[in-house]
Amino acid sequence: MEERKTEERKTPFLQLVLDDFMLLLFLGVTIYAVSYLIWGLIELAWLSPIPAEIKQELLGGR
Amino acid sequence: MALLPPEEGWYFKRVAKDEKMWITLALVVCLILFFWMIVWHIYGKQNPSFTTYRTTPEEFNALTMAFIEKYKVGEMNGIPVVEPPPNSDVFLVGKMWRWEPVLVLRKGQEYRFHISSLDLLHGFSLQPVNMNFMVYPGYDYVLTFKPTSTGEFAIVCNEFCGIGHHMMIGKIIVKE
Amino acid sequence: MFRTCDITGLKVDLRAERLIQLNAVMAVVSLLIGVIAALLLVLTRWQVVHLLPVDWYYRVLTLHGLNALIFWIVFFEIAGLYFGSTVVLNSRMSSPKFGWLAFILMVLGFLLVNFTILSGNADVLMTSYAPLQAHPIYYLGIILFAVGALIGVFLFFANLLIARKERTYGDSLPLFTFGLVAAAIIAIITLASGAIIYIPTLLWSLGIIKSMDAGVYKLVWWGLGHPSQQINVTAMIAVWYLGAFLTVGGTSINEKVSRIAFVLYIIGINVAAAHHLLVDPGPSPAWKVFNTSYIMYIAVLASMIHAFAVPSAIESAQRRRGFTKGLFDWLKNAPWGNPAFSAVFLSIIIFGFIGGITGVVNGMEQTNIIVHNTLSIPGHFKGTVVGGTTLAFMGATYYLIPLIFRKKIAFFGLAKIQPWVFGLGIAVLAVSMYILGAFGVPRRHYDITFSGGPFTYTFNPATDFFWVLFAVGGIAAVVGALMWILIVVFSVFFGEPVRGPQDMQLQVASPPPPAKEHGGFEAPGTLTLTLLFMGVFLIFLLLNWGWLAAMWEVR
Repeated sequence: MEERKTEERKTPFLQLVLDDFMLLLFLGVTIYAVSYLIWGLIELAWLSPIPAEIKQELLGGR
Repeated sequence: MALLPPEEGWYFKRVAKDEKMWITLALVVCLILFFWMIVWHIYGKQNPSFTTYRTTPEEFNALTMAFIEKYKVGEMNGIPVVEPPPNSDVFLVGKMWRWEPVLVLRKGQEYRFHISSLDLLHGFSLQPVNMNFMVYPGYDYVLTFKPTSTGEFAIVCNEFCGIGHHMMIGKIIVKE
Repeated sequence: MFRTCDITGLKVDLRAERLIQLNAVMAVVSLLIGVIAALLLVLTRWQVVHLLPVDWYYRVLTLHGLNALIFWIVFFEIAGLYFGSTVVLNSRMSSPKFGWLAFILMVLGFLLVNFTILSGNADVLMTSYAPLQAHPIYYLGIILFAVGALIGVFLFFANLLIARKERTYGDSLPLFTFGLVAAAIIAIITLASGAIIYIPTLLWSLGIIKSMDAGVYKLVWWGLGHPSQQINVTAMIAVWYLGAFLTVGGTSINEKVSRIAFVLYIIGINVAAAHHLLVDPGPSPAWKVFNTSYIMYIAVLASMIHAFAVPSAIESAQRRRGFTKGLFDWLKNAPWGNPAFSAVFLSIIIFGFIGGITGVVNGMEQTNIIVHNTLSIPGHFKGTVVGGTTLAFMGATYYLIPLIFRKKIAFFGLAKIQPWVFGLGIAVLAVSMYILGAFGVPRRHYDITFSGGPFTYTFNPATDFFWVLFAVGGIAAVVGALMWILIVVFSVFFGEPVRGPQDMQLQVASPPPPAKEHGGFEAPGTLTLTLLFMGVFLIFLLLNWGWLAAMWEVR
């Protein structure tokens, strides 16, 4: 087994992230909310109606 | 240990050679999968469409009726049969519990399908080719199809739409 | 308030233990309903029998979905969350009162939902896609169940905060609990999405909101629906690690790797709910491709990491016990007589080879065109949530019975073969459903002869053979599930008590000797299995893309 250092080893950032379950909760919820939910809802909201040319072609004088 | 806290220094333990190999391989495959979908949009011939319009059942029904009237060539079991010209806007409506109209198309020609529903969600399942898309009320899904085979094809509804769901079957005929 | 387990040495909060038991009992009740429904469905879809009439088919299908996919699994997971945040951490339950409230709400929801379904007021299937509308009490029932489950999840985090503050476990959580943290985070996303969609839907069913947009409904609903399944994947994998530990004393050969894989789940797995919308109008291909890919497949990468980490945990422990001959000596000499072990190992194989491979291909934007709404879809998820999660949970229960219920496993001989009957049955069922779907057979469909329709269509005659396999696999799986339920119910209510370690029929493995430092491979057998998996996966991928390329052109 390797020798253990006697001074305090500073805990690496990634290990702190892995051990912080509240931070993980925040990341999980936020990434999902933005990428799936908000982006998706925006796309649905921005849909445009059927173009006039297509309607004109079939319905004539409407 | 799974039930006990990890051993001290767990963060610094070297990753085993075989585990490292496997993870590298898996990572490469995963990235290839992602970029494959993007590449297929550029070079592939089968892609879900980029085009959806907002509509209403009333508007879509009016457009479909006008479309049927314009290109009608007959009737089959009470359903109008329509032969639209290539490269035109083709309207297909799903409603409880039928597809209208029956379409007659030419192989190798493109048709801009507009598919929508007058009531609930329906499923457009082209058999036996086995291509499947969703049909929504309030949304006009524009799918540009090019048939590459001839014959008679069924449009099976594969999204539950009530008690008559299994009776909902349409038809597409493709000629040379 | 506590007892000290004379078998594991862990401190058990008696109040948590009672809640674990109650939730586990409700889980089994739900599974029983789900399984009976499954038998009726198998005998209906197999139109040689066509058992149920048309309205009851959709009704029982709704019943099956809610009980098998939601109630069975969520009740079990809540029990698991309490176990992982108290017993495993030698810590206490933060608020037993809220635990009881959660339980009562969940049971109330369970009753309301099942009652509205059986009375014909919710013939909408589990997804209840608007504009399909059920009776308001149905939606209320689901909301109550979800609120109860959410309270349970909050209790889990409260328990963890207490354990962290009272320093009952050191700096880093045990891996099993860490996996449950990932599952619980996904559960919060699930239940929050559920609230966002079901509350307006309830108001719509009461006439307070005038209309419900179909596109918005489906998008938000799958924010509940898909992550709910990913809770199951994550919990299943936590159970795999637990199983490896209890049966052979194995644990992840690198904790950092396994934990990072769980974190990749937290970050990337939920957005893939988009794979339910790949062939839908509305969202753009950019949204579809980015989200369905689990953000460049980082969550699939995570699954593949666990696919190596879990079997290698077993292999490493076995090799240290001296089973070092060849590539698979460790596996041949694994405790196959322990039903928890066989259940967990079968779960890994079925989940990986059947569920996982079909899942990734189904979830690629373009190949989804081949499978959407065909019978391939339920075929896929029988491989994941039934052959994977449910089977793993069944295996875990074989330890739950003696350790938490303190009863001996009744019909132990039957228990040893039960995972095989269920696992093989589900495998056959899943594969035959997938193949039937490839022939175009639709899911959620009462009659593929289309009687009453203006036209007809005959599926390829080869499907007749696969329908028989479907029936055989389905019936075997039902038998396997009923075996498990019989064993569990009998053990818990009529079984002999466990008075101490001498009454344990399954060993709780002692830790194997420490690993010797060496430069070679730590788990060559596992590497072989995973490479085989990758080979099968790539072949399946290529076959599907090749088939897609031969279809009509569409854009």
